[in-house]
Amino acid sequence: MKLFLSEGNPHCLKALAALQVTGVQCGVHYVNHEERVVPFLSRPAVPALLLPSGLHLFSPNAICRYFFEVNGQESSELCNQWLEWEATDLQPALLQGLYLAVLQGKGSEVSNLLQGHLNVLEQSLSKGGTPYITGDAVSVADVVLWAALYPVLSESLLALGEHSSLKSWFDRVAAMHSCQSAAQKVLQGKGLQGMKSYMQRQPVPQSSQSRDAQPCNSN
Amino acid sequence: MALRELASLEKYLGLKKPNKYSTQGDKKVPVLQNNNGPPLVGQVTIACHLVKEAKRAELLGDGAEGRAVVQQWLEYKVTKLDCCCKEDIKTILKDLNLYLQDKVYLAGNQFTVADTLMYYGIHPLIVDLAIQEKEQYVNVTRWFDHIQHYPGVRHHLPPVVVLRNRIYTGRLH
Repeated sequence: MKLFLSEGNPHCLKALAALQVTGVQCGVHYVNHEERVVPFLSRPAVPALLLPSGLHLFSPNAICRYFFEVNGQESSELCNQWLEWEATDLQPALLQGLYLAVLQGKGSEVSNLLQGHLNVLEQSLSKGGTPYITGDAVSVADVVLWAALYPVLSESLLALGEHSSLKSWFDRVAAMHSCQSAAQKVLQGKGLQGMKSYMQRQPVPQSSQSRDAQPCNSN
Repeated sequence: MALRELASLEKYLGLKKPNKYSTQGDKKVPVLQNNNGPPLVGQVTIACHLVKEAKRAELLGDGAEGRAVVQQWLEYKVTKLDCCCKEDIKTILKDLNLYLQDKVYLAGNQFTVADTLMYYGIHPLIVDLAIQEKEQYVNVTRWFDHIQHYPGVRHHLPPVVVLRNRIYTGRLH
């Protein structure tokens, strides 16, 4: 089993954090942003996990889910729901935010873009009253959401003043050694600048505010 | 769209009592009121819940690997297929075509819920393909034809004609 990562790619933080939190045995290989690890995808897709069967996983969330399941923690329905929300709802906004902050120097706009998402998390954490998103123990949802938010929260692009439950949760996950060291390895302590070369290679994210081109599958 | 797909999935699974769904937000994300707990939100989450309710866990994939592969394609369906713009279509079809080259189903040799939802999601793309394009993506159309004839899957969607014999062989000479 081999996990392929590249430095400065924020999606890789999820996979490495999940690997280190679960302690699953797996070789880690660093490749450059251009490397096509998954043979059937036209665009380079990293992180990627080469499974023992020879199949590739190219979705960071599926990789994290796999590590947790190998470690005996199957994803609950609540976990599934958070992972789906992360992929469909949070991720597009985050990518747009990172694009603005890293490539256009408009870090101040990130806060507006993500306010709604932070509110959703804050509400759930304060209502649930548990230290982690789905209960009393760290789940795959915590690792995925923490790693997704890490690039924007660790760079203070967002003030979490009014989101006290979210802030304590974020700090609680960040305090885990396996998460700390994953962040250090993937982002090299270079913050937003460290992601520049990765972001430059990504397609311009579709703005959710000015969607003039209708998606073909919308009805 | 997502609601019709869930209704078809319910029929495929043979669930007796159809569930009532609502939607939330601009993107009309499906919501299922759940008697045993808080409401479930999101098509993939609800689809996996329905599969478990129908006691058909094998449709979620075999072993940790199979289950991860199924979840990956379910995520692909809601993140890539459901909001793809014109420029993405060719890439999606090309990638899937290569992926399906040596596979019967998305998870390999076993039919799963990923085949069902991907079939629903890709239907509008296949409908728009010219015959020549269908031949270009021959593995995708083979898989698609297989799934649309899989007992009980098609439901709300019209069948798409897929020719099994090549007309355009020019590129091979």
